[in-house]
Amino acid sequence: MSNDYRILNTRAPRVDAVDKATGRAQYTDDLSRPNMLYGAILHSPLAHARILDIDTSRAERLPGVVAVVTWRDAGTEPYGVSPARYDETIFCHDRVRYVGDEIAAVAATDPDTAHEAVRRIKVDFEPLPLVLDGRHAMDDGQPQLHEQYENNICAQVHWRFGDVEQGRREASVIRTDTISSKMQDAAFMEPQAVLAEVDAQRNLTMFSSTQAPHYVQRTLAMALNHPLHKVRVVKPAMGGGFGPKASCSTAELATCLLALKTGRPVKFTFDREQVFLHSRARHQFLHTMTTGVRDDGTLAFLEHECILDGGAYASFGIATVYYAGSLLGGPYRLKNMNYDGYRVVTNKPACGAQRGHGAVIARALFEIQLDRIAEELEMDPIELRLKNVMDAGETTCNELFVSSFGMREALEAVRDSAAWKKKRALAGQTRAEGKGIGAACGFFVSGAAYPIYRSKTYHCTVVTKVDEVGGGVVVQSGAADIGQGSDTMLAMITAEELGVSLDDVRVQAGDSSLSVDLGSYSSRTTLMTGAAARDAARDVKRRILSAVAGRIDVPPETLDLKDGCVISLADPIDFSALRDEYLKEHVGFSDLPDSPKLSFREASRIAFLEIGAVVGTGEYRPPKLGGSFKGAAVGTSPAFGCSAQVAEVSVDLETGEVTVDRITGAHDCGFAINRTQVEGQMHGSMMMGMGEALMEQVIYDEHGRILNRNLAEYKIPTSLDMPQLDALIVESNEPHGPYGAKEVGEGAIMPVIPSILNAIHDATGVRINELPVTPERIVRALRRKSVCAK
Amino acid sequence: MTLPRFDVLVPETVEQACSLLAEHGGGARVLAGGTDLLVDLKRPIVQERLIEAGGGDPGRFTTLGDGEPGAIDPWGSGDPPPDVLISLHKLAGLKRIEVLDDGRLRVGALATAREIQRVPEIRDRWTALAEGADSLGSPLVRARGTIGGNICNARPAADITVPAICLGAQLELQSPDGSRTLPGEQFILAPGVTVIEPAEILTAVTFPALSARTGSAYYKLGQRKALEISVVGVAVYVELAGDDTVQAACVTLGAVGPTPLAARSAAEVLAGGKPTGELLARAARAAAADATPIDDHRGTAEYRRLMVEMLTRRTLELAVERAGGRS
Ligand SMILES: Cc1cc2nc3c(=O)[nH]c(=O)nc-3n(C[C@H](O)[C@H](O)[C@H](O)COP(=O)(O)OP(=O)(O)OC[C@H]3O[C@@H](n4cnc5c(N)ncnc54)[C@H](O)[C@@H]3O)c2cc1C
Repeated sequence: MSNDYRILNTRAPRVDAVDKATGRAQYTDDLSRPNMLYGAILHSPLAHARILDIDTSRAERLPGVVAVVTWRDAGTEPYGVSPARYDETIFCHDRVRYVGDEIAAVAATDPDTAHEAVRRIKVDFEPLPLVLDGRHAMDDGQPQLHEQYENNICAQVHWRFGDVEQGRREASVIRTDTISSKMQDAAFMEPQAVLAEVDAQRNLTMFSSTQAPHYVQRTLAMALNHPLHKVRVVKPAMGGGFGPKASCSTAELATCLLALKTGRPVKFTFDREQVFLHSRARHQFLHTMTTGVRDDGTLAFLEHECILDGGAYASFGIATVYYAGSLLGGPYRLKNMNYDGYRVVTNKPACGAQRGHGAVIARALFEIQLDRIAEELEMDPIELRLKNVMDAGETTCNELFVSSFGMREALEAVRDSAAWKKKRALAGQTRAEGKGIGAACGFFVSGAAYPIYRSKTYHCTVVTKVDEVGGGVVVQSGAADIGQGSDTMLAMITAEELGVSLDDVRVQAGDSSLSVDLGSYSSRTTLMTGAAARDAARDVKRRILSAVAGRIDVPPETLDLKDGCVISLADPIDFSALRDEYLKEHVGFSDLPDSPKLSFREASRIAFLEIGAVVGTGEYRPPKLGGSFKGAAVGTSPAFGCSAQVAEVSVDLETGEVTVDRITGAHDCGFAINRTQVEGQMHGSMMMGMGEALMEQVIYDEHGRILNRNLAEYKIPTSLDMPQLDALIVESNEPHGPYGAKEVGEGAIMPVIPSILNAIHDATGVRINELPVTPERIVRALRRKSVCAK
Repeated sequence: MTLPRFDVLVPETVEQACSLLAEHGGGARVLAGGTDLLVDLKRPIVQERLIEAGGGDPGRFTTLGDGEPGAIDPWGSGDPPPDVLISLHKLAGLKRIEVLDDGRLRVGALATAREIQRVPEIRDRWTALAEGADSLGSPLVRARGTIGGNICNARPAADITVPAICLGAQLELQSPDGSRTLPGEQFILAPGVTVIEPAEILTAVTFPALSARTGSAYYKLGQRKALEISVVGVAVYVELAGDDTVQAACVTLGAVGPTPLAARSAAEVLAGGKPTGELLARAARAAAADATPIDDHRGTAEYRRLMVEMLTRRTLELAVERAGGRS
């Protein structure tokens, strides 16, 4: 793609690359303070029990223990993610609801003492019957987890769009299929870590590995009853989040409580085991879908029911149950859609948001259905999809407007790049045993259009300030770079606008005291914070150019910033007076400007001399979006990403082992601010989706305890499992995104699971409707098939 | 997970190591690469330290502080943590790998998986051992984990132990009272339990010399291609006679019983027969019948038994080919 950008759309190295590669980057657990204490938490060993008594006296007597806190210190006011479902307290008070539920916390002078103290806390429990199976949580007679959730239903959705009965009458092929998945762990590299400190004015500062400093700031202030303006949340360098770090955790609340109580800095870092216990990762989904198409392959209707097992608390789960339905509105023209979703609570760790929030398993089943329908119609599965994809300017049946949409282009790109026609044509004819190829598409929001609390808040602001000595630029933002590279995105946009080099831009971000920014979730940061950064940089530019123009008496519109210099768009300009002024200020300096052009360094210094602080601001708030039906807000977005993928697999028909040989993916990100980072998100999505398709599952025993709560037994793909990955970038120029950009962070995972499952079917002739598709499940299905054939 | 506190002692000779072990009794553990031991010693964050509360109220439970009598801890190892670890890392002699003059292979107990992988003679002749080492963990783990640790840790799925037993490993053990040699297959009694005496150290593993017409293979089945605990492991060894019949054979199974398991009826099926596809398939079925797998979260007994059959047939085909025969 050719364009005039110097920096955007390139493969500029990440601004944090060297620090991370050399170990210089400071993650939360690297931080330390004089006089710092270490925290530890007592987790419930039982999945469901009444608490009769908590005795902390033996812990308090242990030398080195400075504070022990329980609900008596923290109170019992509920908090949570969605105001409509505040159902957690900082510490359990009368009941524990999962193995891992937090009962007390300790601050001590060293970690060993803190752990030892936790072990000395005595709790009397009266065990209660468990609800472990999400399928049956709603049944009559099941134990109830929360008074406010009748029949253990935490949230439910009933949507009717169009006329499904009419669709049914038009359909010539109708089929019903099911799929069930397992709870996931996001398996980010950096476990949650927190350092909290309080100053003499009771300003509470918390450093935390969080995706959403602003939301966490609000939750801390609310739950700890501390003034909002005296709570500051700072996100140091971070090793991934994928969703579970988007809400405030007990680790954060307890550490702050301990810092407030002791007046000393307190640090607390999750063990990997605690990452599993705390979870807030992907729900378990149990989907049933009935889809009908007309004989020409046009989609006629979708009837969809889903039960989401959400664990013990609501967390992000209300959004999850909505997303599970709403995001099937695209990328195909589908006029009639019914959805009934139930999110239930069970005695397992709470589930929340994870990459592709709510929509991944629904997408998997729907794309499998499309393949099965194509088979019945004897149509090529990609042809069937092409027949139904939406184009830019269309609105889905649930009122999602797609302003840019490279779906068709993406699907054609993977089809051609993977030589689909040739390989698929071989299907059924002569080809190596156990080889298969499959395709799927995906659809995802590019930033939630509404904040999680009811407000007309700006979703982000950016302040860009030029160094008053001239030359450098500082971008200040609350956006959270969790590893996806948003700091680099901010630097690139600013450098592009101001015509300076990337090295002259310093990004200060991830700090709630710098700006309101809703955080890194729902694939929003490039579109939203990117737009704010662009506007802030343009604001700065206007100020510099008008100050310079005033000095040399030309209209500001005739000036521009380019390649580190002020250029004239009209007649050449003599800058010598400004140059002299700058040189006089810098007697004795050696790296002084000497080209005939006025450098950015001089121009920005002159601007400061003329007008004082040179500060530009930008902000972003989505336009009002969405329909008027209940829950219409979830799924709305200023833009939608879409993606297509072809997976090629080899299946060992005797052992069931699957080797993914190659994945070809295409994603419409609108415009790639940084091409390498777009590909990085696609590669990461492929890896994560492949793990979910083939190996990942949190396994519970009959007491609700996680059997595989470590990364040896919770399997994610290793580098040896990864296939060749071909990431193709599609750019559809999104009108609502900065420079045409929209999301890639989550949308890219959408087609991964179904394309692999469709390929496995192509290879083996069997369908497996339970994830993950382990070798054992494949062998069982193959044996069932051969028994039936006999 | 938190590590308990312990001291690390670093003897300079095997004799010193043995006497330190004797001195500290049950409170000491031998430390080789530490890739099993340190993981085992870590204490989970959530432990179930519950007892039924007194006062005649059987429905009530209490969590217990450490050290209080009566605590049960079904998630922990059950063994009290050691006070000292006796590190073997200064015993350079235990790292040696050599083919002896009489053709036997002698591998020091401290040889790492990576060192085993890199010896051409092992890959050439004791192939199953090299393939076991290849399949262990990841490059990082292979650089630390030793053959001695793998064997002494006594897990049924251990990827070096299973082929080592198949290849007729003899274990050299040393204690303050002297040394003894033991066949590998007599060493492991139950998961994590061996016949090793409290003050005894495994110093080396020797393998019988091989004739030219032998072949061996190891296949590990798991869900992913590295960092995997076997769902099933199969090691086979085949020796062919001049007339291409099977002179000797051994099939050893991993992860389908409480210890690495000798599939004796498979060996009996093979002995003296021509290694045709039909014979190998019959041996594979016999191996599946010998297996005693259980259901756990890594796989069901049914699948494991089936896989023993598939993989025994495949590894046998490979081993026969390597022995210069054709199946
Ligand atoms: C991430 C990871 C992946 C792994 N993957 C695999 C795998 O794929 N396959 C596999 O089989 N194993 C695997 N393991 C387990 C482990 O790495 C191997 O079993 C390894 O061979 C153990 O050797 P070590 O030297 O580290 O033993 P250590 O941990 O040092 O010792 C293990 C046990 O043996 C005892 N011991 C060690 N040496 C002697 C000796 N010379 N005399 C007497 N007693 C001794 C110790 O006291 C201890 O009880 C893995 C471990 C990790 C952490």
